[in-house]
Amino acid sequence: MHDELKFDNCAHSSDPLVGCALEGVASVFAGIRGATVVIHSPQGCAATVAAAFDQHEVDFTKRKIACTRLFESDIVMGATRKLEDLIRQSDAKFGNPVLFVVGTCAADIIGEDLDGICRNLQPEIKGKLIPVTAGGFRGDAYAGIEMGLEALLPFVKKSETKIPNSVNLIAPHASVNPTWWADLDWIQGLLEGFGIKVVSRIVRDTTLAELDKAGEASANILLSHDAGYGFAKKFERLHGVPLILSDIPLPVGLGNTSRWLKALASHFNAEGLADFMITNGEEKVADILRRRALMMIPRYRNCRVAVSGDATFAISSLRMLFQELEMIPEAVLVRSKSKEARALLAKECADLGISPKIVFGADGYKIQQVLKDIPVDAVLGSAWETYMAKEEGIRIAFDAFTPTNRDVYVDRAYFGYDGMVNLLEIIGNDWERALRSRDIQWDLYEERRTVLPTKETERVGTAKIA
Amino acid sequence: MNQEDVVFHGRLGALYQLAKEGKIATTLQGSHTRPCKFWTAMKILSGIRGAVVIAHGPSGCAFGVKQAYKLTNSRNSGSPYESVLTTDMNMENIIFGGEKSLKGAIKEVDEKYHPDVIVVATSCAAGIIGDNVDSVVDKMRSSVAAELMPVHCEGFAGEYRSGFDLVFRQIVDFMDKPTPEMRQKLSKSVNIVGAKMGPERTEVDTDTKELTRLVTGIGAEINAVIAGHCSLEELKRAPSAAVNCALCLDLGYAIGKEMESRFKTPMNSSILPYGIAATEHWLREAAKHMGLDEQAEAFMKSEYQAIREEYEEARSFLAGKVALIEGHDAVKSLSVAHMVERDFGMRAIVYNFHPWSAEARETSIDYLLETGLDPEVLITKGTLALGKYESMKETEAEMLAFLGELDPMQTVYFGSSLAFPHIPLVDLNAILNRPRFGYRGALKVAQCIITSLKYAFRGRSSLARRMVFPQGAGFSTGASLTPKLAQDLPDCTVYASARRRGQCMMN
Repeated sequence: MHDELKFDNCAHSSDPLVGCALEGVASVFAGIRGATVVIHSPQGCAATVAAAFDQHEVDFTKRKIACTRLFESDIVMGATRKLEDLIRQSDAKFGNPVLFVVGTCAADIIGEDLDGICRNLQPEIKGKLIPVTAGGFRGDAYAGIEMGLEALLPFVKKSETKIPNSVNLIAPHASVNPTWWADLDWIQGLLEGFGIKVVSRIVRDTTLAELDKAGEASANILLSHDAGYGFAKKFERLHGVPLILSDIPLPVGLGNTSRWLKALASHFNAEGLADFMITNGEEKVADILRRRALMMIPRYRNCRVAVSGDATFAISSLRMLFQELEMIPEAVLVRSKSKEARALLAKECADLGISPKIVFGADGYKIQQVLKDIPVDAVLGSAWETYMAKEEGIRIAFDAFTPTNRDVYVDRAYFGYDGMVNLLEIIGNDWERALRSRDIQWDLYEERRTVLPTKETERVGTAKIA
Repeated sequence: MNQEDVVFHGRLGALYQLAKEGKIATTLQGSHTRPCKFWTAMKILSGIRGAVVIAHGPSGCAFGVKQAYKLTNSRNSGSPYESVLTTDMNMENIIFGGEKSLKGAIKEVDEKYHPDVIVVATSCAAGIIGDNVDSVVDKMRSSVAAELMPVHCEGFAGEYRSGFDLVFRQIVDFMDKPTPEMRQKLSKSVNIVGAKMGPERTEVDTDTKELTRLVTGIGAEINAVIAGHCSLEELKRAPSAAVNCALCLDLGYAIGKEMESRFKTPMNSSILPYGIAATEHWLREAAKHMGLDEQAEAFMKSEYQAIREEYEEARSFLAGKVALIEGHDAVKSLSVAHMVERDFGMRAIVYNFHPWSAEARETSIDYLLETGLDPEVLITKGTLALGKYESMKETEAEMLAFLGELDPMQTVYFGSSLAFPHIPLVDLNAILNRPRFGYRGALKVAQCIITSLKYAFRGRSSLARRMVFPQGAGFSTGASLTPKLAQDLPDCTVYASARRRGQCMMN
């Protein structure tokens, strides 16, 4: 039960909150340990690739990126020679085992033959050359993640035998948690607790050896509702590794964590352990909140909230907001637009019995319109939504998602029980900041004291002086 | 130092000549990507209030600059959310053309945002497939309320600074021809030209604020900071201002010359006003166009008087010492060289001024040479290597070898705190070291040098060294401007990684 909104004047123009396919492709390669990225493009595209390395927090000492810096004459005459020289130079200088040669819009449109160039050059290059044509016009960043993941398939060796109780974790980085790897680490730790081996993380500091063995896993788990479905399905076809748990939201909040753990346990026959983890986890959250945030739920009860982010968190956090915090989700604004996410959200809304306004493919304009037209008390989103909310007179904005204005030094999971507490800590602090009195008009108190010199106003006046 | 490591050691004029004659390679290596023409054009356009840009291309171009510039504006200056629109070009547009889509986008944006101006900025894809953007824009002029302007800034169509120049020249099209009445009204007004991006940080004494204070101090007003949060109205009347003063001569030159040629608005050309000599030149040139010469002289005297005692003491301490100035930030390094030589009587050596800059920064170099200043330049091999040259082991080792020949107690290094010379370091990008312009700036810089010398005994933080040079790190590449970096560094284009919020690279 949900109502997907339609907007006028959006057929030809958008105010994007998601990058292009190049960023998605690069975000996959940035997650491969020891990868060099050679970009065949004008120099501005290097900023997009660098943003993808930012997403993985690959620090500047570990980035091995080179760009052909195409100019007009290269566009007219082609720049094969320039690319070959840069590949040779990068191979010699960086000495990495793999070089992804990425063609962006310009190289893609003029038809640079990246496959041919890499094939011809490979014999003299020590690293393995992987050509990828990734014109930004081929889709958004989520489509790019699918393209990048697909480029990794040749690294996965066929394996008839599977490791029992083992999984690959896919697309953890397609997430708006600013420190998404903490979610990945939480999942990995949890799986280890269940005795389930993680064969590969696709991708997070992933080695080629990990990819080589990924075909031996007995299941794939997707850690995003925004990207990776296509890759997982193709992986299943090629390597016979099934995708599991993709029909329920990821573990955000008590209810969804419990559901996810039970589904995991059911697949791997470990129900008893799941029950134990759920009991402990829920007790931990309740204990912390009892001691540190007793008024949390009374405070938020029936707060009308808009959630704006990716499908991964916008969908997965709904149950927590509605059932656990007793808020009322009035709008769900999702940056991506996959059919799988649509189906999942529809199912979740029906299950919860709510009918928020829904936007898929949300851009800046659509979010602004929703915040203008639908009365809400608070917005759960990123820095973008914080500014928009301010403009629309919405006082409370929970700045939890990427890009955030929050400086995060210690990694924070949003998945699981600690993750829920982390999210609530942000919500709690931003709530306080929004409502704290900073602009007391002392002059009014002064005036009142002069006009009505009662005991009460005298006290106010004294407080001011103190 | 080992002579094999030296690519060039001589005077700037000689380097400039070699570059002009093609006798030294001026190509930037593949690891040194600067923002492309589209990005730099967008940076200027981001400084025009009430303008909405439609990036005609795939979404990534609009998204990248929006995250880097607009989000930064909001984060650091409290400005509201600003959109950057895109036609979101897809495969179908690439094959069949995107003109229809652009036409629709212009109409939609006019209806959605009601902006004063709609700028259509072309990306690589639109440029290569040959969409006739000018024609679409011309046809749409009568159908929309906003003023329209196409800007051809495909990323491949020029070096990074060509985007600045292009937009600075083109926004002159928005300007109205001066009338005698308007000239009279603005006869004591100044445009600060060559600024870029939106509102600046609100809580810090920045250089633009200092210039504004100096201008008002001589009895004049600021009409507009172009393009730093200027409105269309301010742009329209800008030619009637008494004079255009360049914030950064290198960037202000294009718009200044264009306005001079079209409207006869005088141009005050001067290098960045670092130091007293450059500041006084800047102020005198501004004042003479407004008949405020006497007021300017009186004001300069009072400004100098306010710092005189401390400044003269500092200057006598600094005279004869050596300043090694990191040349990555080309225009700033030349301006600092000008200041330390002219004002402090120090010997300036510009270190690792990339030969590429000799070509890209012609205006500032010409000016400096014309004024008779020709600083010493040292370029070592690491600068031209594939890698991140501001903070990499290769250039670090070369610099240390060079410093071995200099007296560490008589030498300071002007550069990034990410470098580790064994001589005192002055990082003018640090937020507490602002303003750097004007009299107060001159004193501040002099005090920074003295503080560095005074605390030289402390040495550099081993933590900082471990952050920059982790064990086992190999060669890394130069980082591009990313949204994260832009947020950390609000008001100027930056290229080096890991600099923190509040630092500024006046490129």
